[in-house]
Amino acid sequence: MDVMYLGCFVVLACAIALYAASVPQGNRGWWILLAAIVALVVASKLIGGWLIGAIVLDLAELAAVALVWSRGTPQAAAAGRLYLFAVVPAIVCTLIALALIGSGGARPGPWIETLVVWLVIFGFALKLGLIPFSFWLPAVASAAAPMTTALIVSVVDIATFGELAALRDAAPWIFSGHATAWLTVALLSMFGGAVLALAQTELKRMLAYSTIDDLGFLLLGLIVGGPIGMAGAGLGALSHALSKVVLFGAVGVAEARIGKSVTLDTRGLAARLPIAGAAFIAAALSFIGVPPGFGFVGYWRIYVAATQFGGLALIIALLAIAALDLLCYARAIHRTWLGSPQIQVTGAPAYLAVSVVASLAVIAVLLGCYPSVVTGAAAPGLLALAR
Amino acid sequence: MFQPVFLPTSILFVGGLLEIVLARVLSRATKGWLAFLASVLALVAVFALMPAIIHGDVLTASLFDWDAGNALVYRVDGLSVLFMLLGAGMGSAILLYSVGYMEEEEEGVTRFYVLMLVFIAGFVMLACSANLLIVYFSWELIGLCSYFLVGFWYKQQVAADGARKVLIITHIAGYGLLAAIMLLYVRTGTFVWTDPAVAPAFSGGIVLMMIVAAMAKSVMYPLHTWIPEAMNAPTPVSALLHSACYVKAGAYLIARMYSIGPWHETFGNLLLVIGCVTMLVGVIFALAQTDLKRLLAFHTVSQLGYVVTGLALGTSLGVAAGLFYAASHALFKGTLFMCAGAVQRATGTRDMRKLGGLASRMPVTTLVWLVSAAAIAGVPLTNGFVAKWLLFDAALEAKQAVVVVIAWAVSVLTAFSFLKATVGVFYGIPSHELRAEEIHEVAPSMRVGMGITGALCVVFGFAPQLLMHPVIEPAVRSMGFDWQIQVTWLGIVTGSGTIGVTIGAVAGLALAAAFGAGAYRLVRAPAGRGTVAVFSGGEPLPVDDTLGVVDFAEMAEAAFGPIYSLNPDPLYFRIWREIRDGAAAAGRFATSRIERAPVLTALICAAVLLAAVTLP
Repeated sequence: MDVMYLGCFVVLACAIALYAASVPQGNRGWWILLAAIVALVVASKLIGGWLIGAIVLDLAELAAVALVWSRGTPQAAAAGRLYLFAVVPAIVCTLIALALIGSGGARPGPWIETLVVWLVIFGFALKLGLIPFSFWLPAVASAAAPMTTALIVSVVDIATFGELAALRDAAPWIFSGHATAWLTVALLSMFGGAVLALAQTELKRMLAYSTIDDLGFLLLGLIVGGPIGMAGAGLGALSHALSKVVLFGAVGVAEARIGKSVTLDTRGLAARLPIAGAAFIAAALSFIGVPPGFGFVGYWRIYVAATQFGGLALIIALLAIAALDLLCYARAIHRTWLGSPQIQVTGAPAYLAVSVVASLAVIAVLLGCYPSVVTGAAAPGLLALAR
Repeated sequence: MFQPVFLPTSILFVGGLLEIVLARVLSRATKGWLAFLASVLALVAVFALMPAIIHGDVLTASLFDWDAGNALVYRVDGLSVLFMLLGAGMGSAILLYSVGYMEEEEEGVTRFYVLMLVFIAGFVMLACSANLLIVYFSWELIGLCSYFLVGFWYKQQVAADGARKVLIITHIAGYGLLAAIMLLYVRTGTFVWTDPAVAPAFSGGIVLMMIVAAMAKSVMYPLHTWIPEAMNAPTPVSALLHSACYVKAGAYLIARMYSIGPWHETFGNLLLVIGCVTMLVGVIFALAQTDLKRLLAFHTVSQLGYVVTGLALGTSLGVAAGLFYAASHALFKGTLFMCAGAVQRATGTRDMRKLGGLASRMPVTTLVWLVSAAAIAGVPLTNGFVAKWLLFDAALEAKQAVVVVIAWAVSVLTAFSFLKATVGVFYGIPSHELRAEEIHEVAPSMRVGMGITGALCVVFGFAPQLLMHPVIEPAVRSMGFDWQIQVTWLGIVTGSGTIGVTIGAVAGLALAAAFGAGAYRLVRAPAGRGTVAVFSGGEPLPVDDTLGVVDFAEMAEAAFGPIYSLNPDPLYFRIWREIRDGAAAAGRFATSRIERAPVLTALICAAVLLAAVTLP
């Protein structure tokens, strides 16, 4: 699975770089930080020791904070401060937890175990922006350049999630002994993320909250565990990474052309930007698990795992949340992209950026049509992860 | 090795692929002919499977692992073939019609044909798949095609809004199917519905969830309200999706449930209620319409009520009636939609208040309309009559007299509604706007397309056995019923012990015809004025006045006033507003408390989390 993650990160990093070459996302410092983050994330996956890997990934988190800051606007600085405020305690908590866990195999005494579980949940919830520790992500999404946010949610967050998945593998007692607490955080993130996404009028903030919602689903896969739950979480994470780059990318293209933030009052964008609109629609539907998007491949596994774990009540709860997601994205699609055009585009066309976004959207649909390309190749890794 | 059961789907997907690859080099018409060719070849491939199916065989094949551990398994039986024929057969006629229809379209022609072909492929895949995960995949694939096709003219707000409604209602209800599949998988460890472990696990709750999904697709009350809004799609879309195929997906699922697990009488009774209510509500709402396509849409709701009622009866004759009705409805409603499209294309409007007198200018369209309108109203010598006849017979046989009364009343109202539409569009005096315009018949391919399906309405009305024995009989057998039905010319059932009913009904019909002929002779339509005299129910109308569509609509509203309050849309809007307002309140709370006071929030939440972790 690590190979799959690595491949995904490299592809997405290249896509983000190509996009940024067409639609500028920042100054020279931005490019250096981008390279540093990708290098650190890849290194964290390649490094054998998982404590050292975690430290390297934490450095990538800090670089991501700098990336947000690098935009230079007061809003970006404020968002960067919030992000830093979340990342520093998160790093401290997770590193202490990892140190206490050691190799992870042996279950510690009850007090240590409680402390470790608390540190892990608190640390990762802060890092991933899970509800109720989500304060930094919408602010970052709103203030940072679209590809900065895409990099954070698609590469840094997903790598962090991979770290959590590795922890699930190495020290399963963290999850199995405290399933209620984990489940509460997951459900809160799913439901809260979906509701708060629905409350947003600015598209980038909506995408940020829907990220939180989706991470709740992925977390549920980890909590349930087993081959299907872990595979669901792993594949869902890949789909999440892919879709979010497309979604933020399409919004970024629109912002570059209209010269302001895209909100629900920006009507009929697809009439002016048909390819970006089509990419947004495809990625949105894939993201919320509508077949034939790639998202369904992870989602159905999570649904099966949830049904095994919580029976009819849990599957109904998940599907109700999925319905909220649909309402949210359908509104975004129809208020922003479709319908009569009521806005003029002025900026220069960004052909390369649009091509990147469209290509990734096509990949998301093709992988959903024939997921064996990924699931067949990843099966041994997925099973290893599950063990 | 490639297996023939995959041929129809493969041809359609390859057709779609070629449309994309050759998009830049093909003309609009050639794209249409390519799509038509793909559909015809798929139809031929379906016909090639029929000898084995008629013989009673079930064809199974596994192609490849679609997802790890989930093979693309096809299981083609009689029921599958019926729906494959609907998809590929109606698809061919409608794609032929589309060649002319889409020729004037400025943009999106490739998108249109690709979506139509993928839709038909998805529908065929739905009918064939033995893997429930692929069934859901196909279910949503056709749902998405419907969404994109309804929103084809996405720059028009009404089209985009209609598409949004289609997506939300059908997809959310589709979660019922998904939840049912997940529960079945957890109970049995397999997605393949033919696995022996599945039948015992097929409980009432699972059936209920599947019914919810089927209700939305097959426009059952109260989940039908998306279909009138979907009428802003191009007419071939309305003809293929919203009459022939898409709305039949729910009927397929209901029919397929007979094969998956044991069928209890309770399920049938529930569906009978749903079917009858849908029949009534659909036709009553249709009466009040002045937009031709919306009128047809509400009749789709009503007619699907017949289909589901037949399937719900749970007898051999009942399901045969339901399936025959499904096929017949595809033919006559598809034809009616194509006629409506021809009218709209020729006149630029589908508002019946602005139409009239088209019979002299569009004689072929008028003839085809008359045949298919007669079929939907259940006039003898048409397939609609046979379908209704079978259904009435089946309901009487199942001792469901109330169903017969309701179905009969709905038939009367359907005839009334189509009288309104026929007079309003094709007879009488053209409106002022139309008098000045040069109106002529539509392109030949459009006329041929609707002519073929219109002719089949008559063919299967004269000789329903042509459809019953090779297609309906294997389908009924595949659902686990014995075939005890002998249908002869004109749809007279002779083999189920109901010959007495049949003879009595034929006598009643003869009396009605005689009465009608007598009344016609007595009243005599005024010749030469170009209008149709209509009994006004009281004082005669002024000399230059006649009953128009608005009068019909007002009469319907006056007669059925309280029933129009059963429209569930206001309830849906209220639910949406509650969700939106609740979300807005949550958003304000999150902004003011969480984002603006992160330290305090984090500390409080960390403390709560610690307590939660510490608690045993």
